[in-house]
Amino acid sequence: MRILSLILATFRELFSKATLYILIGISVIILLGLAAGISAERNGDEVSLSLFGNPTKMPVPADQFELLVREMQAGFARGLFIGIMLFGVFATASIIPDSLEKGTVDLYLSKPIARWELLLGKHLGAEAVILSNILFFVGGLWLVFGVKTGVWNYQLLLGALTMSFMFGCIFSIVLLLGVVFRNTAIPIIGSFIYLMFLDNMLENREEIFVFTQNKVVHGLLDTLYYVFPQVAAMQRNLDMQITHRAMEWKPFAQALLSSAGFFGISALLMRRKDF
Amino acid sequence: MNAISSESLTKIYSDFVNKKLSVTALSDFTLDVEQGKIFGLLGPNGAGKTTFIKILLGLVNTTSGRASILGTQLPNVKIRKRIGYLPENHRYPNYLTGHQVMKLFGGLSGMRRAEIASRSASLLKLVGMEQWSKMKVKKYSKGMMQRLGLAQALINNPDVLFLDEPTDGVDPIGRKEIRDVLKQLRAEGKTIFLNSHLLSEVELISDQVAILNKGKLLKVGTVDELTTTDANYEIGVATHPTEAFFHEAAATVLKFQLDKSTISADLTSTAELNRLIDLLRKHNIEITHIAKKRTTLEESFINLIKPVSDEKKPEVRQ
Repeated sequence: MRILSLILATFRELFSKATLYILIGISVIILLGLAAGISAERNGDEVSLSLFGNPTKMPVPADQFELLVREMQAGFARGLFIGIMLFGVFATASIIPDSLEKGTVDLYLSKPIARWELLLGKHLGAEAVILSNILFFVGGLWLVFGVKTGVWNYQLLLGALTMSFMFGCIFSIVLLLGVVFRNTAIPIIGSFIYLMFLDNMLENREEIFVFTQNKVVHGLLDTLYYVFPQVAAMQRNLDMQITHRAMEWKPFAQALLSSAGFFGISALLMRRKDF
Repeated sequence: MNAISSESLTKIYSDFVNKKLSVTALSDFTLDVEQGKIFGLLGPNGAGKTTFIKILLGLVNTTSGRASILGTQLPNVKIRKRIGYLPENHRYPNYLTGHQVMKLFGGLSGMRRAEIASRSASLLKLVGMEQWSKMKVKKYSKGMMQRLGLAQALINNPDVLFLDEPTDGVDPIGRKEIRDVLKQLRAEGKTIFLNSHLLSEVELISDQVAILNKGKLLKVGTVDELTTTDANYEIGVATHPTEAFFHEAAATVLKFQLDKSTISADLTSTAELNRLIDLLRKHNIEITHIAKKRTTLEESFINLIKPVSDEKKPEVRQ
């Protein structure tokens, strides 16, 4: 009940801000655009998929049309994946520093909730909000593709859970930075740097190793690769999920352990803080 | 069993970079608060009052010493089910209404929905916020926020209530209403721990008072004990003393002042008091009453704090 109250409060808090309505607005515009622009054109035994009258790929035999649609959906999901991480962090990063402000944290912690429960409630609340946004967009995407192409790809809907899971993992970094710095800007900047540069660099660290034989650099990059959630690997997993290929379990397990680690450190630091 | 108990409680806010900036907020602080009483903790800014409350609530970790609430050793999360807290400068989520604030904090207290709904309605009525319960908190005045804060602190029907400056920003009528609520709670057997700068407020309702300065407990007792002094007496007289009385009194080195029909005497013992009475009776001066002279709580507070404050600048924080 207590955690549920925190989740609901976080839900309310985030929906009281304009940011999420902007995201919903953007989602609606994209979905309406797709609904208007996407079309499947049959030409004998071949089918092609067009976006605003422009064929997206060469026509394919009818039996491969479903694959073509799935690939197109995967393309949208890949774009959405990083987009939702960045936007999600931007929209939710304030909830931890806001909760830890003097006058607010006193009220929360004077109730029978442990400090880690406060963090967990806020974490799950942020995740619930982002999941609802992802479900809205992905659900809309699924509906538009289903209606316009006749391909009802349920794996696309499950992809929403994968994206939400990955957001939760990234949010654990936001949480840690929020607890340490009690400030909104640093978690946003830190997460953006990780999502846009560091993750790609770690993913392609083998290319860096070509230029240096320094064991410390090798060790450091390898360690960071396994410490942080592997976003690029999860993005590939999402792609495989939507196109009905077998996913790798290792990036899931690694992301889960990594986020549990970040959460654990946050809870430990939180325990030692004076408010 | 005491409602609140602390034993040699010490809190040092350490500065790991510059040790000189470390501050001692509480030093060897021992205090017991009986159940069912209103207890006022007084002290200047930075005395350590809020730190003490925050230690009891688990918001601040102790450096050393022990504390307990209702016999439960702290820190303990579960005991907070029996605690209510109104912090100073509290900030409620401004996108919520008064009713939603009650719902949120009732939920955080682990209460059931039906229980929250019924208690919330009656508490908002009790603090005079019933008609504003559907209004967003961001539109509330300071006084309304304090009233809502008090209702929030009471949502879980606590046995011990901590109030940090509860009447801050509340108008005189509102203060009286809050005092009445607190008295009613005491009658129900609740313990109320009050932090306030408004000494007259504390004086009006507290059963016991402690004065704290620079993290150290200076004095603890009832308001009567703190506002009466053994050596000062007031003697009411019906007839004006004669010149002969003043001459004889001056010869006996008794220190007193006459103000209309009241003699204020600064005596060192009860023997001196008896000598003064004998002298009055010898000169046929009718005595109407004898009472220990009272000071206001504010005077007692200043008298206690001033010698310490004069020593050096404060180096503690609240």
